Amino acid sequence: MPTTTADWPEKSRDLSLLLSRAGLGDRAAFATLYERTSPHLYAVVLRINRDRGQAEDVLQEVYVNVWRAARTFDAAQSQPLTWLTSIARNRAIDSLRRAATQPQVSASHTPDEEDSDVYDNIADPASGPLEMLSQASDARALSHCMEGLSAQQRQCVALAFYDGLTHAEVASHLGQPLGTVKSWVRRALAALKGCLDQASVRDERDVEAVR
Amino acid sequence: MDYSRPELADRIAADYVAGTLRGAARRRVEQLLPAHPVLREAVKRWEAGLMPLTASVAPQKPSPAVWQRIVSRIGGAPVVVADTPWWSNLSLLRTLSFLSVVAVVGLSALLSNPPPAQPPLIVVLNSTTPTDTLPAGTNVPPAIIASISGDRKAVVTRTLADVSVKADRTLELWAIPGSGSPRSLGLIAASGASVVKQSKLPPGTAALAVSLEPAGGSTTGVPTGPVLYVGKLAL
Repeated sequence: MPTTTADWPEKSRDLSLLLSRAGLGDRAAFATLYERTSPHLYAVVLRINRDRGQAEDVLQEVYVNVWRAARTFDAAQSQPLTWLTSIARNRAIDSLRRAATQPQVSASHTPDEEDSDVYDNIADPASGPLEMLSQASDARALSHCMEGLSAQQRQCVALAFYDGLTHAEVASHLGQPLGTVKSWVRRALAALKGCLDQASVRDERDVEAVR
Repeated sequence: MDYSRPELADRIAADYVAGTLRGAARRRVEQLLPAHPVLREAVKRWEAGLMPLTASVAPQKPSPAVWQRIVSRIGGAPVVVADTPWWSNLSLLRTLSFLSVVAVVGLSALLSNPPPAQPPLIVVLNSTTPTDTLPAGTNVPPAIIASISGDRKAVVTRTLADVSVKADRTLELWAIPGSGSPRSLGLIAASGASVVKQSKLPPGTAALAVSLEPAGGSTTGVPTGPVLYVGKLAL
C-alpha cells in the first residue's frame, strides 16, 4: 500500500495508536505497525544503502530500536511516520559509514554505476531522485519554492536527500566543483525552508480538523 | 560553536536532516542533541518538513526473514504478520490458544492451584465528548491507552498527547461494572504515563473511564465532572 504525500498526516494518526500500544508492550500492535510501515522504511533505506542484505540489517536495527523506544514517542511532538522515517534514514546513513570502513565487504555504495537490479521491481520507471523530489514537491505544494533553482541545483539536494550522497559524491556525480555543489545544496535547502514551515502548519491543521 | 544561536542551529539541522552532514560532524550533532534544545527543535522542524518528501519513494517489501529476526531480538512469543491469508493465521492462532487453554485448565486441575496467571490487558479509552461542550482550557486528544497488569493489581495509563486541563482540575480513572456504580481507581496525570495501584481491579469491571474532576478528585465517590474517555475491557 503506497504512501502518498497527501495522506501523510492522516496515516500518521492511526500509527500513533499502534505505536503507543507497542510502547506498552503490545506485540500484536507492533506487528501491525511493522506490516504497515516496513515497505516504506525499507524503500527509504534501500535508496540510501543499495545492498539488500545491509538494507535489511538496517531495517532490523530500526524496528528493534523502535520497539525499545516506542514508550518515549510523543505524538504531540512529531508524527509517527516522520519519527520512524527519521530513525530509518539516520541508521541508513550510519550504515554507509560502516560500509566504507569495511571495504572488503564489497557491496559498497556505487552511485556512479548504473542502478541495475535494485530498482527492477519498481513499477514507476521515472524514479530518479529528481523526479521523486518533483513529485513530492507537487503533492505538498512546494513547487513554487523550487522555481528559483536550476534543475542541477534541485538535483543536488535530491541526490543528497534520497540517495544519501555526500557533497563530494554529488560533485563527482554531476561533474561540478565541490564548493559549487555545497552552495547549491545550501540554496536549495534555504528555498525549501519557508515552504516547509507552511506545509507542517497545514499538516497540523489537517490533524486538528479531523479531531 | 554556540549551538543555541537559532540561525546556526537551523543550518546544522538542515544539513543533518538532509543527510549532507557526515562523518565526525554528524556524530557530534547526535551527541549534542540531548543537551541542546534549540538544536533539537530545529532538527524536529526539518524532519517534519523533509520526511514527507520520502512519500514519493515506491514501497519495497523486505523479506519475511527480517521480521523473524526482529521477533527473535525483542524476545517473547512471535506474532505472525499476515503474510499468508489472514484466516489461516487466525485459525492457527485459535487452535493454538485453544490448546493452551486446554493445557492450562488441565494443569490447574492437576495441581489444584490458584487460578492461572492472566495476560496483561490493553484497553483503549476513546474520547467521548465533543470538544465544544468541555470547559474552557480543556483540550482532549483522541485516546488514552490503559494497560492492566496480569495480576489485575496495577493499571498503567498513557496519554496519546497531553490532555490540557485547567490547574484546578484533574483526571480521575474509574472502573465501570456491568451494573452498579463506578469505583474510583485513582487520579491520573494529564500527560505521559501514570501507574494506578489497586488491591485488585473490582471484579465484574466491564469498562474503564476517565472523568474531569476538581483538583484532588471526586469527593462524592462517583464521577462529578464530564466523562472524557471510555474503553471497554475485551475479555
